[in-house]
Amino acid sequence: MAIQIKVPAVGESISEVTIANWLKKDGDAVKLDEVIAELESDKATFELTAPSAGVLKILKPQGSTVPIGELICEVEPSTQAAAPASQPTNSKPAASSSPAAPPKASGGVKEMKVPAVGESITEVTISTWLKKDGDFVTLDEIIAEVESDKATFELPAEATGILRIVAKEKQTLPIGGLICKIEITEGAPQTPGAAPATQKAEANVSNDKSYAAGHPSPAAAKILSEKGISSGQVPGTGIGGRITKEDAQKVQSQPAKPAENKAAAPPSTPPVIASGGGRNVRSEKMTSLRKTIAKRLVAVKNETAMLTTFNEVDMKPVMDLRSKYKDQFKEKYGVGLGFMSFFTKAVCAALREFPAVNASLDGDEIVYHDYCDVSIAVSTPRGLVVPVIRNAESLTFNQIESEVVRLATKGRDGKLSIEEMTGGTFSITNGGVFGSMLSTPIINPPQSAILGMHNIVERPVVKNGEVVVRPIMYVALSYDHRIVDGRESVSFLVRVKEMLEDPGRLILGV
Amino acid sequence: MQYNVTVIGSGPGGYVAAIRCAQLGFKTAIVEKYNTLGGTCLNVGCIPSKALLDSSEHFINAKEHFKEHGIDIPDPKLNLTQMIKRKTDVVKANVDGIAFLMKKNKIDVHTGVGSFVDKNTIKITSGDGKEKTITTEKVIIATGSKPTPLPFAPFDKKRIISSTEALELKELPKHLIVIGGGVIGMELGSVFARIGSKVTVVEFLDSLIPTMDGTMGKELLKVAKKMGIECFLSHKVTAVENKGKEVIIKAETKDGKNTIELKGDYCLVSIGRRPYTDGLGLDKIGVETEKGQIAVDDHLKTKVDNVYAIGDVVRGAMLAHKAEEEGVFVAEQLAGQKPHVHYLLIPGVVYTWPEVASVGYTEEQLKEQGKAYKVGNFPYKALGRARASMDTDGLVKILADKQTDEILGVHIIGARAADMIAAGVTAMEFRASAEDVARMSHAHPTYMEAVKEACLAATANRPIHL
Repeated sequence: MAIQIKVPAVGESISEVTIANWLKKDGDAVKLDEVIAELESDKATFELTAPSAGVLKILKPQGSTVPIGELICEVEPSTQAAAPASQPTNSKPAASSSPAAPPKASGGVKEMKVPAVGESITEVTISTWLKKDGDFVTLDEIIAEVESDKATFELPAEATGILRIVAKEKQTLPIGGLICKIEITEGAPQTPGAAPATQKAEANVSNDKSYAAGHPSPAAAKILSEKGISSGQVPGTGIGGRITKEDAQKVQSQPAKPAENKAAAPPSTPPVIASGGGRNVRSEKMTSLRKTIAKRLVAVKNETAMLTTFNEVDMKPVMDLRSKYKDQFKEKYGVGLGFMSFFTKAVCAALREFPAVNASLDGDEIVYHDYCDVSIAVSTPRGLVVPVIRNAESLTFNQIESEVVRLATKGRDGKLSIEEMTGGTFSITNGGVFGSMLSTPIINPPQSAILGMHNIVERPVVKNGEVVVRPIMYVALSYDHRIVDGRESVSFLVRVKEMLEDPGRLILGV
Repeated sequence: MQYNVTVIGSGPGGYVAAIRCAQLGFKTAIVEKYNTLGGTCLNVGCIPSKALLDSSEHFINAKEHFKEHGIDIPDPKLNLTQMIKRKTDVVKANVDGIAFLMKKNKIDVHTGVGSFVDKNTIKITSGDGKEKTITTEKVIIATGSKPTPLPFAPFDKKRIISSTEALELKELPKHLIVIGGGVIGMELGSVFARIGSKVTVVEFLDSLIPTMDGTMGKELLKVAKKMGIECFLSHKVTAVENKGKEVIIKAETKDGKNTIELKGDYCLVSIGRRPYTDGLGLDKIGVETEKGQIAVDDHLKTKVDNVYAIGDVVRGAMLAHKAEEEGVFVAEQLAGQKPHVHYLLIPGVVYTWPEVASVGYTEEQLKEQGKAYKVGNFPYKALGRARASMDTDGLVKILADKQTDEILGVHIIGARAADMIAAGVTAMEFRASAEDVARMSHAHPTYMEAVKEACLAATANRPIHL
């Protein structure tokens, strides 16, 4: 019997995934633990592995969104089916010696039983067989009409293969009763003459995994570059798994690249540099990541009492300290000394003094955290992700910097795991890298506050009665007023400011 | 005039870039200093030298090989004037062809020296001193290269000559001394050796055509000796002196122990070529050069945002077909496409007889990388087709990965090598293994069978005809 593969429960809050990429094709032979597909949730990308060796039957197409627990493919664990793939050369002479042979049965048989069609229905009657015994049927093809006392419904084939009818027309069967069997074939159509050709083609395709697998032909390489797809994401159908021009043409370009896509010249328009005002409009399906972002942002606005408080930080002391020690720091720790470590340290110290800012609401309870898991917003080609620096309060400057680099790199490569992105108690976002002067960040639920960093600009400020030029950063703290009072939020931000303007306080804790 | 793209230089890089730009819908101009289009390649390089090579090949065949084929003719006499005239006609037909292509693609040709006024303005000064300016959004610099002179003996164009003058000689040199046994020196040296000159080659390194696989240099040395070319390897030229009717060259071995003195009537200096950017006014717009080469990034863009450079003026092999690939690459990039240039797979060719051609890594490079590799050789001697034509000099050498059998290098010396190498490029572009090629049917009798046999030798040491 075929092993059914359902969407695994990949994380707590994830209810659906999108099939980003089938790495194997329908009918391909797969090995145990071989990666057969890439699934994308709103948080991360997962690889789906084969639970057994056998022949893959894909039930959900690439790009479709499926809920957790839904069946997406089956693997038919059949020794006969696996044989032609592992011995492609042997299968060819066999096929040619009996060219009129019917499509090779994979050995698997799918038993179709009466489905549960409704609550009060206990039995059904086969009203009409639309296919004859011995016919070749394809998956989801309607093979019979079935009648219950309430309605008539159509019965689709549950597999591709040869139909063996068990229940005759007009026969009444209980729910769960055997209707028919389908002898599963390797997807070959029944026309006898076509069989050898198909098998030969399959032998070529399954001759996979050579050193050149995934190597694009020159034309394919250009097409893939233009679509922004790396050759590793494309299953090659050429000899030895090479990517042919056709493979490259067929693969769909990366869906989740909103910013870049707009900037790049649309390839379909005539490629003239000085083109007059075009009026193209483009519609793109939202990725599940985008959909989740949209849903959650609206929810935060609706369900929290969000306010923002502002302040300004004279960055001169931190910048002086940084320029004095950055070479030594880099040499000793192998990581650059950036502003993130200062902000994280200052935030952790302030969070200890104002625990409400580090708390979250759970129903009627306020959950206080004795640790600071600081989420940092990282912009990636796929959208914004928020990995977490765990126990940031106990990390040293260099540990924080290394962690930031590690998480940001993984984020950009799309390699972050769900664990790495869940459970933060407070967030820091830096709009300054994009040149933002001042903005109001939005809370990352269930957290109750987020600090927004901005760009550093030389501004005239008054110090001791004199106007001087100082590098100033505006900072913003958005907070959930339901649990954080105005006094706490403002004092928190002032505390962060004090510690950044006098980093000695970070050491002394004053 | 206002253009989308202006190409400076009309050699194989420049004119190909211009045509591709025009095909992609850009309003395109091309600026050329000389009165004829085509640059070095068409006027004083590949095309004329190949014309002469072929003539000299006919001459040597008539003189030495016809008899064996059963064709008795009186001793052939050389008509150098006619030989040079035919070459000039070939060049003219080719450059006229380029002029036609420019017209067909609606590319404006501006004759004169192009130089930058600013990054979007090009001043064109024609031979009679007239000036005009054009404005352009993008610029592609394709000004090519010039022969490098010896520091102590500049070209006097009478006795001490470059390849340009060698292609226009009015008399047959009695003794041509070639300094530099690279591609150009060996090609022109073999032309003159075949039409009756005594030719001596002095090379600084220990091999002829030293950038190619060592086996090729060794084989070429054998063939050169057969032809009567005397070669001094590992010799450094210390003096070149024009004595009016003759030229005297002094050279010594690297340790200085052995010195030689050669007397000839012409000295061809072919020690390399240097990127040519004179008069472009690069410093005016901030385009940087490194050792004369224009510095470019992976997109062939210079330090200035709208200015690109291709061909001999940038890093990489100085080959016409490399420049062509780069011209297409830049043009397509400007149109928002994402093309590739696979530099490893740009073939190198030497048009001596027999020809030498190669693609991929040399055995020396693989050794240096510490790569585990296999070698498969097949000599032309064992090939029916080569024997039928009496072209039995040469061999095919295939280098393949020891584990995967993937072809890493194809090196051919022998008749038709230059045409055969295209099959090597195709195989390597698709990352074929030696066995893949060995399992493809090759027509019989052809020279390409040597490639198949060498692949059989490389994959499991099982050539059929050896």
